[in-house]
Amino acid sequence: MAEPHNVPLAPARQPITEEASPKAPVLMMRGITKRFPGVLALSEVDFTVYPSEVHVLVGENGAGKSTLMKILSGVYTDYEGQVELDRSPIHPRSPRDAQKHGIAMIHQDLQQIPELTVYENLFLGREYHGFLGKVDTQRMRAETRRWLSSLGLNIDPDRQVKHLRVAERQLLEIAKAISLEARVLVMDEPTSALNSEEVAHLFNVIRKLRSEGVAIIYISHRLDEIFTIADRITVLRDGRLVDSRPVEEMNRAMLIRLMVGRELTDLFPTEARELGPELLNVEGLSLTDNRRPLHDISFAARAGEIVGLAGLLGAGRTELLATLYGVPHPRQVHGRIFVRGQPVRFRSPRDAIAAGISFVTEDRKGQSLVLVRSVRENISLVGLRQFLRGLVLNLAREEASVGSLIRNLRIKTPGINVRVAQLSGGNQQKVVLAKFLLVQPKIILLDEPTQGIDIGAKVEIYTLINRMAKEGAAVMLASSEMPELLALCDRILVLCEGQVAGELARGEATQEKILELATRFRRADAGERTTAA
Amino acid sequence: MAQLAQAIAPPVGRRQRILLTVLRFQGYFGLLTVFLLGIIFSPTRRGVNLFIDPLNQANIVRDIAENGIIAIGMTLVILIGGIDLSVGAVVALVATTGAALLMRVGMGTEVTILAMLALGAAVGFTNGLVSTRFRIQSFIVTLAMMSVARGLARIISTGLAIPIAYGPGAAPVSFSWLGTRIGPNVPVPALIMLVIAVLTGLMLRYTPFGRHVYAIGGNEVAARLSGVRVERIKITVFVMCSVLTALAGLIHAAQLNQGSPNEAVGYELNAIAAVVIGGTSLMGGIGSITGTIIGALMLGMLDNILGLNNVNSDIQLLVKGALIVAAVILQQLRPRDQE
Repeated sequence: MAEPHNVPLAPARQPITEEASPKAPVLMMRGITKRFPGVLALSEVDFTVYPSEVHVLVGENGAGKSTLMKILSGVYTDYEGQVELDRSPIHPRSPRDAQKHGIAMIHQDLQQIPELTVYENLFLGREYHGFLGKVDTQRMRAETRRWLSSLGLNIDPDRQVKHLRVAERQLLEIAKAISLEARVLVMDEPTSALNSEEVAHLFNVIRKLRSEGVAIIYISHRLDEIFTIADRITVLRDGRLVDSRPVEEMNRAMLIRLMVGRELTDLFPTEARELGPELLNVEGLSLTDNRRPLHDISFAARAGEIVGLAGLLGAGRTELLATLYGVPHPRQVHGRIFVRGQPVRFRSPRDAIAAGISFVTEDRKGQSLVLVRSVRENISLVGLRQFLRGLVLNLAREEASVGSLIRNLRIKTPGINVRVAQLSGGNQQKVVLAKFLLVQPKIILLDEPTQGIDIGAKVEIYTLINRMAKEGAAVMLASSEMPELLALCDRILVLCEGQVAGELARGEATQEKILELATRFRRADAGERTTAA
Repeated sequence: MAQLAQAIAPPVGRRQRILLTVLRFQGYFGLLTVFLLGIIFSPTRRGVNLFIDPLNQANIVRDIAENGIIAIGMTLVILIGGIDLSVGAVVALVATTGAALLMRVGMGTEVTILAMLALGAAVGFTNGLVSTRFRIQSFIVTLAMMSVARGLARIISTGLAIPIAYGPGAAPVSFSWLGTRIGPNVPVPALIMLVIAVLTGLMLRYTPFGRHVYAIGGNEVAARLSGVRVERIKITVFVMCSVLTALAGLIHAAQLNQGSPNEAVGYELNAIAAVVIGGTSLMGGIGSITGTIIGALMLGMLDNILGLNNVNSDIQLLVKGALIVAAVILQQLRPRDQE
């Protein structure tokens, strides 16, 4: 597969110097075993990290990656085995304690206080004090500026964190870690919300830290990324370490086999599909929204077709799907939408559902699922009406329908009355799909449907997307994973700044062309863009 | 499914299993415990245990009926992630207005009841509409309503209780039925509470409305994106809560033979206490009517036991506070994997 992100590769790895030659590991975790009631989360894991190394930790959801990292960062304190830092045993009792040892963790959901300023966040809990305990803001501002500029980040220390972009917040978190003199830096899926330029910048920062001797433990699901940045790859599966070797000795197929435990011959299953009549037709659609407007969007999607939506973060992919689903106030929506040739005007998602449209949001937990309720209640929420007999629900019939969907989509759950929160990410996503499949939608809008789920589940979702299209639905797939778009979609609409920048048919679409279109209307004023290195 | 669940469930020791069972059904065990404590600590008179005396038990259920009925409505509001602070004031408003209609206007029983339920509906509709339309937290809206309702009650009654007398030229005797007993031991208010509890419980479990209530409380955005009419259901829930409160207000007037604008102060807190002890989450989305009735019964029994032992009413407040905290702490230990 082609180079994923157009990342300018840094100069080849530095030659190993004499003194570092037989490098001593900075971190050794030995024989780590962790049990939860009834579950063996980690079993005898030996995990060794050397200084000046980007050590990628991979594994499917539930493989034990986060458990291992929680032990390292002091979240879990009851485990068997030993953690050694510079060959002396440590026992981090809390994240703060781990930090004192030089172990810092950057979480996926950044733990910053949005209302506070950049420098206040950077020095949270360890503010400099001056005369009579007065907070020394001058000094903190100056230091903040210094740390940030060392990462090629030029932002005002007085800006509120909530006004920063995700990439900037990520870098701020890294700055905080290095200001704490972290020697082991754990990054959990740091790129999940970044566009390719931002990823490139992040990778440069990571390489810089590496050259300064920091060990980076990098957790990611994105294969392309892994091979771009890794020095060493360790694979966990079912709580065991199955392999750990330098990146030179690993390839994609091997990595997938190690993670999944079986050969995945076809990551992107495709089937020949018949295209039917136009199901969705959009003419001059605009959204007058202050933050993320859409301008004059026109396209059509036919039965059996998978139409991709590409674009950088903030290009308007989510807004377009949400508009088609009736989420924004109708007053803000202009232009015409036709479903099966009939003009429609949705006042709410309810209207869109009635017209045969489904929307799988990118925010599974925040917008798609009622986490505290059961698998059954979540799956039947949209299609409840069909179980009505008079005024009352026929629970037996509901159980039968829900049960067959669970089997059909192979949702792994201990039972239908189990809370959705208990399921893994991939299975949760299948619950969301099942919820809409129950009402047999004609038009299916998918926003990042495979975000944050493991490879095995991804393949199943891809198969499902194909099946829905084959059965005559029109599918719109928004994704920031280009390989996914290129492999699955018949056509790709590229959005930029809320407009259609171009359309690419299967065959003519490449990552380069998509990127080119995705940055077509980017305004020259880079005032907002402060990450340029 | 059960087999599968068993296969996946962690292997736990017998003692642990018993503990888990106790925790899962802690409401029932809690109620049983309070009941047994009641028997143990009850004074006896002429060899009769005063606590389990049928008449005393009937008194308990009669005493909790008002709070129970309000708490059922409060459960619905809390399930959607809201709160209704106006219930106490609405009891006072309905009791005084009802008494005024019966005594001063000379309305019949049925018309008065219907009018007061409609008044409740209007109050609830206002609460629901204002909080959904203007996106104001129900805490604030119902706090304002609490003030408005109390004020109206004082204006209508000129600040004084309106006594209810029965007979020609006064209220029709049929109204007193709301506060009496059927036979020696079955209080009408308790019967009304039971019927409402059963109906509401069934509604939550067997109707789309019930599912929607839970979904909204669990995740309002997801509910809206799943086609749930969020605003309509929220408003309906506020209407139901206030209508039930109005019913409690009528019972209040019938039991005390008066409508006073200064009564029912703090009823909202009693209702919330019953709901919370019953295991309903203040975050919304989790809870049951059964739990709420158990909560109301526990509070009622506690009051009764302490009363029988002539414990100072100020001390009673302390014990009640301890019970609320203990119940909530226990709930956090409860296995929450299943609904």
